[in-house]
Amino acid sequence: MKSFKRNKISLSLSLLAMSGHCLAANFDINQANLNNVDVNKYECKRCEKPDDYKGFVNVSSGYTDSDDIHAGNALGTSDKGAFGAVSSEFNYQGSTGYQASLTAHQLGMDNGFSRLSVGKSGLYTLDIDYSELKTNQAGDINIESYPSAINDQFDLALMRKKVGLSFDYGHDFYKVFTGYNIENKTGRQSSSLLAPTAINVGLPVDMVTQQWNAGMSLNGDNWLSEISYLGNSFHNNTDDLLEPNVGGVYAASPDSIAHHLSLSGQYNLGSTVVNGRFMTGRMIQDESLIEGFPLQNWEGEVNTLDGHLAVTSMVNNRLRVGGSAEYSKRNNESDIAAFNQYNLSTVTGKLRQNIPQDIERNTYKLNAAYRFANGYRLQAGYDLKEVERSSGDREQTNDDNMWVKLKLNVLDNLNIKLKAEHATRDGSKYEASELTSSEDNGLMRKYYLADRTRNGGEIQINHNPFEWLGIGLTTRYAKDEYDETLIGLTESEDYGYDLNMSVNFNSHVNGYGSVSQQWITSAQAGSESFSSPDWVDDIEDEFINIATGMSIGGLMQDKLTLGLDYQFSNSVSDTYVTTDALLKSQYGDYFSYNHSAKIYADYALSNQIALKMSYRYERYYDTDGAVIGVNEIPGLVTLGDINHNYNAHQVMLSFTYQLR
Amino acid sequence: MERILKKTILGVGIIIFYSTIVNATPWSDLSSEHLESKLNKKFSEGSYSKKGADSCLMCHRKNETVMAIFDGIHGTMNNELSPMAGLQCEACHGPQGKHNKGGKEPMIAFGKDSKLSASAQNSICQGCHNDPKQMAWHSSTHNLEEVACADCHTLHSAKDPALDKLSVNDTCSSCHTKEKAYMNKRSSHPLKWDQMTCIDCHSPHGSMSESALNKPTINDTCYSCHSEKRGPMLWEHAPVAESCITCHNPHGSVNEGMLKNRAPQLCQQCHAPDGHASRVVQEPGMDAFGGGKSCLNCHSQIHGSNHPSGSMLQR
Repeated sequence: MKSFKRNKISLSLSLLAMSGHCLAANFDINQANLNNVDVNKYECKRCEKPDDYKGFVNVSSGYTDSDDIHAGNALGTSDKGAFGAVSSEFNYQGSTGYQASLTAHQLGMDNGFSRLSVGKSGLYTLDIDYSELKTNQAGDINIESYPSAINDQFDLALMRKKVGLSFDYGHDFYKVFTGYNIENKTGRQSSSLLAPTAINVGLPVDMVTQQWNAGMSLNGDNWLSEISYLGNSFHNNTDDLLEPNVGGVYAASPDSIAHHLSLSGQYNLGSTVVNGRFMTGRMIQDESLIEGFPLQNWEGEVNTLDGHLAVTSMVNNRLRVGGSAEYSKRNNESDIAAFNQYNLSTVTGKLRQNIPQDIERNTYKLNAAYRFANGYRLQAGYDLKEVERSSGDREQTNDDNMWVKLKLNVLDNLNIKLKAEHATRDGSKYEASELTSSEDNGLMRKYYLADRTRNGGEIQINHNPFEWLGIGLTTRYAKDEYDETLIGLTESEDYGYDLNMSVNFNSHVNGYGSVSQQWITSAQAGSESFSSPDWVDDIEDEFINIATGMSIGGLMQDKLTLGLDYQFSNSVSDTYVTTDALLKSQYGDYFSYNHSAKIYADYALSNQIALKMSYRYERYYDTDGAVIGVNEIPGLVTLGDINHNYNAHQVMLSFTYQLR
Repeated sequence: MERILKKTILGVGIIIFYSTIVNATPWSDLSSEHLESKLNKKFSEGSYSKKGADSCLMCHRKNETVMAIFDGIHGTMNNELSPMAGLQCEACHGPQGKHNKGGKEPMIAFGKDSKLSASAQNSICQGCHNDPKQMAWHSSTHNLEEVACADCHTLHSAKDPALDKLSVNDTCSSCHTKEKAYMNKRSSHPLKWDQMTCIDCHSPHGSMSESALNKPTINDTCYSCHSEKRGPMLWEHAPVAESCITCHNPHGSVNEGMLKNRAPQLCQQCHAPDGHASRVVQEPGMDAFGGGKSCLNCHSQIHGSNHPSGSMLQR
């Protein structure tokens, strides 16, 4: 933060402020007219002096009744039975500016975190963080057809534990900062091995990610600059999988390290601001290759170069114009070698070589905004993104996007926003050379490279008919057409709406409600005869989310607050297959729904002690037609039924003691 | 019956009348431009109060929201950087002028009910808060959409919800309603239960990266937590190296793994060789192409393989 300076205002600046026609209002404290004020006379007798320390400690205990660890994602604990947790907040503010805070949230449950922060305001801050994050996919999986070293009884769940430290020091025009964190991720993840037939497994996960950063910033009256370094290293504690009869079955994710060095700055010319960044980076991976192959070492290296420049200017208090240019280059300088594969390339007839991919991106944006009347604003913009690939089915693609937005403040309590966009993608010849050719059907156009036309629009309405009621409605539509594609994704349509309502009857009673729906339909074509299309898949996705809640406070002489929250969502994906005009089949069910409900009562036993009782209910059901029995299909071993269908309950009693 | 109906209509009318005016300021009927012009004039004249906060609190001390400033960092008096150490209330709300004579003269107000433009409101905050965190603010989408600092941040309270891990998602999703709904899809990042936050990936003050992400590129943002996918791998999967969002929607999807489409359809949108990948999969649970993990039953190293014989991403 800039220190508070007492500046004498110049006559020219005051005249400019008074004219008010050319530039927007500027109430920057550094431009204040302080000729007639003496802050030394301010005594602040009516000000409240906060306590030097304050905080609370919260101890919770409860019981979770659930037969599926998936419920742990919502309820914060995946174990059935009793649990306990501690939360707290403690703040200390010293008389000379020193301060400290300790925050802890649900330590003892699966996703607790805590932060200790000490420092002197405006000089230095030291933060120490700890957090846990657990995601549960499925529990009690038991596969016996594979060596028990890999497949025994296990849960598909991942636990992340992270410790971090950050420090910054600075005053007025400079600041230095540094930080470090380390995260260990363990558990089991769904995967599959070819050994020699396909076997779905719960792959053990034991990974460590470290991140560190350091930098320095300098600033002046109208400029900012920063130089910073960012590092990230990955270490895998699990080994490659080898089987005596089939060789290397599975190569574990290799250790890697990435570095980024950046220089960024901003220059403020008053009504025009320029900012920019130059960054260089490197990703390195030189892990030994899996045993038993002639090539033991392979050096993987990707170098990146990024540049960004943006300008925005208030031409007058009605018109703003701006633009940006961005350059990004990914240069893959990894070793190239030929390796024995289990089959040869059908295009070249030779041993396959790895193909390091270089990617270069240039992005240009222009935008303008014009306020043509009070509360009415028109924006328009054009974006161009050019991507070049050294080896890919299409070497160059260009994405053009034109958009326009209109904001209308129809009334003080009613505003409408409209948005429309039109985008096209084209580029160089598809599969122009042997190097860029693939073994695919010549009519295939990969959707992220294919020519595409996108048209979309959005309408947003916000209305406060009364002071205590707010209503928001947003509806959107977008359609992507891949007119040049005969094999691959040919069309995709996405539309939906969100309706939100918030009610604040008074300071004690408030509520909310929302409904959201979305529909995504996609069509893709394929060919079993390696020629023109002879089958089509239509995918229809649907999603609905409903949420409502209410809290009533001020009961029992302002001691009791009651609350209720309810949420329902349903995600559906249907796939229809047409192999000729007469034959159509539909995939089996693929949907999931959940009901989540919470009721609570918060009672203040005294000014310092509060008791809270809460009950949570989670109903979850999902189904997937691809989930089948362990040995249902010859040549394939699966993890069995990992769908979910459960009711979970949790009661919790919390005791809070307010320190001050 | 008629009398009851008339009384009901009168009662509802009174409620509507008072609810629309109860929090209106005396200068609510001024247009934005007229208000800015008046406040500009006050600012340049610099008629600050004689007693600072004591002058303001003569009238405003009974308002809990006003007094809550002293619970937060902007109300501390023993910090030379705090507004309370200088012009106090008027550091942000502008010179008092004649406002204390009946409260009719406008003062600078913040938030969604303020008629001041976002840039005018923000000029006050940026007088002190102009550091590298806001370096990309001026060309950021939030600034171009005229979002004011006070639309997200609350100063007259002990805690600013935008700075609290347990409430920052609510702050973002009060406008980003689509993303709020997507948190509840079949698969999404654990934002719904505040186990992750929007600002773990995005910088609300803007950044010089795409979509205001914290890290240089989309992939670097993903690699900060999913670093096992970074590589570089011996055998790359081209769309992965290009962008993670070629296949995934990080805000949520009706499909597992936050995939835009599931295997085999997703894979068949790019792969159509003269072989099994071009075969239509009529039903999901009938064979290894549709059952279990579909294409990933064999091609499990979908993000890239470091196995010398892994060009088909099988090992």
